[in-house]
Amino acid sequence: MSSLTPLAQRYIDRFDTAARQLPGADNRSVSDLRRAGLEAFAALDFPHRKVEEWKFTNLTALTKPTANEGRVAPAPAPAIPDQPFEARFEMVFVNGRFSAAESRLDGLPEGISVTSLADSLGNGTVLSFPSQEKRAFLALNTAFMEDGLVLSVAEGVVLDDILVVTFRSEGDQETGRHLRNVITLAEGSSLTLLERHVGAGAYFSNPVTEVSLAADARLDHYKLQAESPEAFHLAFTDAELAERADYRNFSLSIGAKLSRNELTTRILGREAESHLNGAYLMRGSQHCDTTTLTEHRVPDTNSSQVYKGVLDDHAHGVFQGKIHIFPDAQHVAGDQLSKALLLSDYAAVDCKPELEIYADDVKCSHGATSGELDEQALFYLQSRGIPLASARKMLIEAFLADVLETVGNERVKVYFDGLSRHWLSEA
Amino acid sequence: MLEIKDLRAEIGGKEILKGINLTINPGEIHAVMGPNGAGKSTLSYVLSGREGYEVTGGSVTYMGEDLLALSPDERACHGIFLAFQYPVEIPGVPSATFLKTALNAQRKFRGEEELDAMEFLKLVREKTAELGIKDDMLKRAVNVGFSGGEKKRNEVLQMALLEPKLMLLDETDSGLDIDALKVAADGVNRLRSPERSALVITHYQRLLDYIVPDFVHVLADGKIVKSGDKSLALELEEKGYAAISAA
Ligand SMILES: Nc1ncnc2c1ncn2[C@@H]1O[C@H](COP(=O)(O)OP(=O)(O)OP(=O)(O)O)[C@@H](O)[C@H]1O
Ligand SMILES: [Mg+2]
Repeated sequence: MSSLTPLAQRYIDRFDTAARQLPGADNRSVSDLRRAGLEAFAALDFPHRKVEEWKFTNLTALTKPTANEGRVAPAPAPAIPDQPFEARFEMVFVNGRFSAAESRLDGLPEGISVTSLADSLGNGTVLSFPSQEKRAFLALNTAFMEDGLVLSVAEGVVLDDILVVTFRSEGDQETGRHLRNVITLAEGSSLTLLERHVGAGAYFSNPVTEVSLAADARLDHYKLQAESPEAFHLAFTDAELAERADYRNFSLSIGAKLSRNELTTRILGREAESHLNGAYLMRGSQHCDTTTLTEHRVPDTNSSQVYKGVLDDHAHGVFQGKIHIFPDAQHVAGDQLSKALLLSDYAAVDCKPELEIYADDVKCSHGATSGELDEQALFYLQSRGIPLASARKMLIEAFLADVLETVGNERVKVYFDGLSRHWLSEA
Repeated sequence: MLEIKDLRAEIGGKEILKGINLTINPGEIHAVMGPNGAGKSTLSYVLSGREGYEVTGGSVTYMGEDLLALSPDERACHGIFLAFQYPVEIPGVPSATFLKTALNAQRKFRGEEELDAMEFLKLVREKTAELGIKDDMLKRAVNVGFSGGEKKRNEVLQMALLEPKLMLLDETDSGLDIDALKVAADGVNRLRSPERSALVITHYQRLLDYIVPDFVHVLADGKIVKSGDKSLALELEEKGYAAISAA
C-alpha cells in the first residue's frame, strides 16, 4: 500500500478517528458500510490516467498537492458570485452540514419528506454499497459521508413547486465534503429538484446522489455546478428507473477548477425513459468532465443525451458517454450528442462516445463534434453593424439555445439562461 | 462619397484585385458587370471589411475617411451595407433578434435612442408590408432553410431597415423570380436620394431596367476595363465580355 497517493493515505490514516465523529457512529450497519467503503477505496486509490474511465481527467492537482503540503495551493481566483434562486422550499448545507437556520422547508405538502442524512443515519437508514464497486469516489463517499438530502415522495404525490437544495462551501479545506443524497419517488409521484453547488475557497466536494423512481414516477432533476474556481467537484449520480418512470436531468456547469459530473441511469422497467442533458461553460484553465452511462436493461425503453460545451482560454472539456443495451432489450431507442465550441486555440475537448449493444432491434445514434465560431456568420453579423464582441456572444448563445431549451421548468430555464448570459458577459 | 484608388487585394497570397479605380459621388448608382471570377464579390468584401482579404496597395476614401482603417461593424455604422451574393445561415439566432440587434447597434453608434421591442416590431412590420415579405420569417433563424429567393428578399429587408448611405448589392437579382426582382429593385429605389449611392453588381441587364444606373463598369481580371453609361449594359448583353474587354 506504499504506492497510495498522499491524499488517499491521509484519508485512510484518519478514518478511525473520523468515523467516531461521523453520523451513525453508534449504528453497527452504518459502521460496517463505512468500513466497506474504506476498504474498497484503499484498494482502488484515487484513479490515475491509466484507468480507462479516467484517461482524460488528471487528478494529480487534487491527490498530490505539491505546494504547501497539507493544504490545497491557494490561488486568489475570484469566486463566482452566487446568484440565488428565489424559492419557497430550500434546504441549505454549509460546508457539508445541514443548516436548519438557512433552510425553508415548512409547508411542504403531505407525503413529501425531507430530512438530513446525518439524522437518518442516526436512525439506522441503510444504504447499499456493492462489494465490487470500482468507483473510488463513491467508495470514499461511503466511508466518509457526513450529511445530505434524504427525500422521499409518497405514492401519487406531486410537488407543483421546486425543491431547491443548496450546497455551499466556504474557505479552504483539503479533505472533502462528502455529501450523500438519497431520493426516492414512490409510484406515480413527481417532483422538480434543483441542486445548487456554490462556494468560495479551495476545497474538494464529493457529492453522491442516489435516485430511485418507482413505476410512473417522474423527476426533473436540475443541477448547477458553480463551485469556487479553486475547488474540485467530483460528483456521482445514480438513477434507477422502474416501469414508465421518467427521469430528466440537466446540469449546468460553470464552476470548479476541476470537475467531473458522472451519471449512471439504470433503466429497469419497460417504457421508462431517461433524458440527460447539460451545458458546460469553462474558461481559464478549468477542466470539466461529463461521464454518463445509460443502461437499457429491458425492452421498450428510451434515452437521450445532449451535452454542449463552450471552452475558452486553456479550458478542457471531456465527454464520455456510454449507452449499454442488454441482451433481449429490444425496441430501444438511445440517442447521444456531444458538441463543443472552442473559443481559443488552446481550448480542447476529448470525446468518447460508446455504444455497447447486445440486442438487435434497437435504434441508437451518437455524434460528437467540436469546432470554432463560424467566421462567415461573424462577418455577416458585423457587416450589419454589430460589434465583434456582441456578434460572438450572439453566436455562443445561439449554440447553447437548443440545449437550454430542454430545461422543461420555465423558472429554472430563466435562471440557467441568466447564468449563461452572465458567464458570457465576462468574456 | 467613395473614392477607390489603385486598389489591390489578395486572398491567400493570390492577387485578385489588380488596381481598381472608381469614384462614386452622392446620389449616383454604379453598376458593375463582369465575368465569373473577375473579382466583383472580392471588391464588395474588401469594401465591407471581410477578414482574409489583404489589401496590398491603393486606398479607399469614404466620406473623407480612410475606409480601410475601419472594422466591418464601424463601416456598417457609417452607412455601408453589403447585400451578400450568398447570404449566411445562422442557426439559433432568430431573425427578429438579429435585425433588432443590428438596428440598435447602429442607432447607438449614431447617438440615437435604441428602439424597444414594440417600436422595433412596428417598424419592421411596416417594412415587411412594403416589401411583401411574410412576417413569419422573423421568427425563424436567420436565413436557415430559406429558399434562395427568400434569402435575397431578406437582404433587401435588412437594407430597408438599416437605411444605408452606400448600398453594395452583390447579385441581389440572382435567384429572384420576376416579382421578387421588382420588389428588390423597389427596395433600392425607395432608398434612392441625392445623398445615397449604390454599387450594383449583376450579370443581367434586366435588373438595370428597374434600377437605372448612372454608370456601368466592366470588371475583368481584377481591373475595371471599361466604363460607360447604361447603354454599355445593353451592348454587353449583345456582344459578351470578350469583345468588350478586347476593345
Ligand atoms: N477564399 C478564397 N481563396 C482563394 N481564392 C478565392 C477565394 N475567394 C475567392 N477566390 C478567387 O478569387 C477570384 C475572384 O472571386 P470573386 O468571388 O470575387 O469573383 P466574382 O467576380 O464575384 O465572380 P461571380 O460572378 O462568379 O460571382 C476567383 O478566382 C476566386 O476563385
Ligand atoms: Mg461574385
